[in-house]
Amino acid sequence: MDVLSHLASGFAAALTPTNLLMALLGSLLGTLVGVLPGLGPTAAIAILFPLTTVLPPVPAIIMLAGIYYGAMYGGSTTAILLNIPGEVASVPTCLDGYPMAQQGRGGVALGISAIGSFFAGTLGVVALTFFAPFLADQALRFGPPEYFGLMVLAFTVIASLSGGSLVKGFAMAFLGYFISLVGLGPSTAEPRFTFNWGPLMSGVDLIALIVGLYAISEVFIGLEEARVAITQKIRNVFPRLADLRAAFPAILRGTGIGFFLGLLPGCAPGVTVFMAYDAEKKLSKHPERFGKGAIEGVASPESANNATSSAGFIPLLALGIPASAPLAVLLGGLLVYGLQPGPLLFQKNPDFVWTVIASLYVGNVILLILNLPLIGMWVWLTRIPYGILGPVILLLAFIGAYSVRNSLFDVGVSLVCGAMGFFLRRHQWPLAPLLLAFILGPLLEKYLIQSLSMSGGSLLIFFQRGISLALIVGAALLLLTSLALVRYTSRRVKEETAEELAL
Amino acid sequence: MPDPNRVVGGTLVLLGILSLWEGRRLYALRTEMVAGAVVGDDTFPLIVGVAMLLLGASILFVARLPQVKVARPYGEPRMRMILGAGVLAAYWVILPYLGYTGSTALASTGLFRAMGGYRWPLALLFGGVTTGLLYLLFRVWLLQPLPTGLLGL
Repeated sequence: MDVLSHLASGFAAALTPTNLLMALLGSLLGTLVGVLPGLGPTAAIAILFPLTTVLPPVPAIIMLAGIYYGAMYGGSTTAILLNIPGEVASVPTCLDGYPMAQQGRGGVALGISAIGSFFAGTLGVVALTFFAPFLADQALRFGPPEYFGLMVLAFTVIASLSGGSLVKGFAMAFLGYFISLVGLGPSTAEPRFTFNWGPLMSGVDLIALIVGLYAISEVFIGLEEARVAITQKIRNVFPRLADLRAAFPAILRGTGIGFFLGLLPGCAPGVTVFMAYDAEKKLSKHPERFGKGAIEGVASPESANNATSSAGFIPLLALGIPASAPLAVLLGGLLVYGLQPGPLLFQKNPDFVWTVIASLYVGNVILLILNLPLIGMWVWLTRIPYGILGPVILLLAFIGAYSVRNSLFDVGVSLVCGAMGFFLRRHQWPLAPLLLAFILGPLLEKYLIQSLSMSGGSLLIFFQRGISLALIVGAALLLLTSLALVRYTSRRVKEETAEELAL
Repeated sequence: MPDPNRVVGGTLVLLGILSLWEGRRLYALRTEMVAGAVVGDDTFPLIVGVAMLLLGASILFVARLPQVKVARPYGEPRMRMILGAGVLAAYWVILPYLGYTGSTALASTGLFRAMGGYRWPLALLFGGVTTGLLYLLFRVWLLQPLPTGLLGL
């Protein structure tokens, strides 16, 4: 079957009432959490993740993808109307979005943001449709050393998820590895780090870890911050023709930059949005308008953000490499459902992959429909007091952590991780490398042990096989590229916000 | 308050030592159980142990990490955080005894009171509504088996 017939069967499955409902529900919930000031896509997925665990894999991943996209869309609302970026990827949107809101053009900024996001998101999914299967076709050539090379490539992402300090990033990554080692060893099933305590035998549950690190810590960090609600009324979100004409080239350029850089494993939206914004400013005939409410300053980074988010699905689904923290959580979701992202996913689970890809098209349309007419409702929801929101999130997180394995031990783990996440986040220790290493650590171990067993313990096996050598060399090159990009983004974030980078 | 970077560095050193110790135990077990195997369950604990030890030591003695100035929470927010964490910990303790309904009603009321600062009648109302909604979501809709406690509720 060719790509188009696969996609057609994917659409047939994605448009069933259940899957459509899950896409709608995911988009609604994601937008709802994303629109709340200070909550970004990672926290949104973490909070809502446990709700999806009772569903079968396809509707669950459709819902998670909807939450991811929805939270991305929702994040721009607070960036534009309140000057509060939920994640670093929304910082450039604040630069011109907020001045537009102050000039009474907040609705237009939101409209352009939604249209740009829809355009870029859809183009990204089109590319995913045709590019990911090509990448996955290399699957049959992969053995344990090649998969090990792939895992090494995945770990270059740590550099871009480390924030301002590589030492901090690697320290967190090894902490994540350490936590992933708890349980039964993969070779002999001998207990490791369990100290003869029964509950530790089954290891640390991924969802309990995510809920604690991102959801519980988020609530307590939120208690410290003064929360603000959007009080202004949004009248017209539909841009005029002149606005569209001014924004369209910026949308195109933002999409291009976001998509092509997003293909690089380790290039998160936080990096590409600044590149898109700076490119737009440099190309503009009136760069002095930027920072004062230029519509291109909203269109370009928002398009880049969504193009990168969509492009991130290509390394995620085809290679099993997440480019950003929310995608790392999504990767965890796939693993929870017994699906191993990577080259074989397209061959072993084609129905699943194509249904999810089709649902991404559907999700983009749903979000455009939801975002333009319902913006007033989202704005109203930001007025819910944190005194209500915080306890509800905590209760959801608590019961969610319990419900995965019906285990009070998991709840205890999530509470401990909540305290740990709170401490680490307050002192700017990046959590994403920890999560990434926790998820990929067991795979890295498996492929390393299999490869070394094949070679009788010789590390040369990784350098004697073409693909694994290419992947390891590629990893080294990407690491250098990531470091340069992180340095650039770090400088730009500091210039704009006087804060350290937290991608 | 101790330097947070030193806290993380020290923790890494301790965990690194623990990992090496566990790796050594597993290595002895492997050489005893699986003759001729060059790698096994001990390989990664040993690698991770060495890396954590080196990273921890470098954070403690060599690396000059940027000092992040974080104001300690004080006043009302601090009280809300402490009380909120306390209620959450208490919820974890009482859940197996009181079951989902009783413990969630108590914990949610406590959280609304502690974190939201609502008066008791309002906190009770919010707690009751939230307990009911979560019950509908998890038990009725998602069919999750929630703890019933000693009273079977």
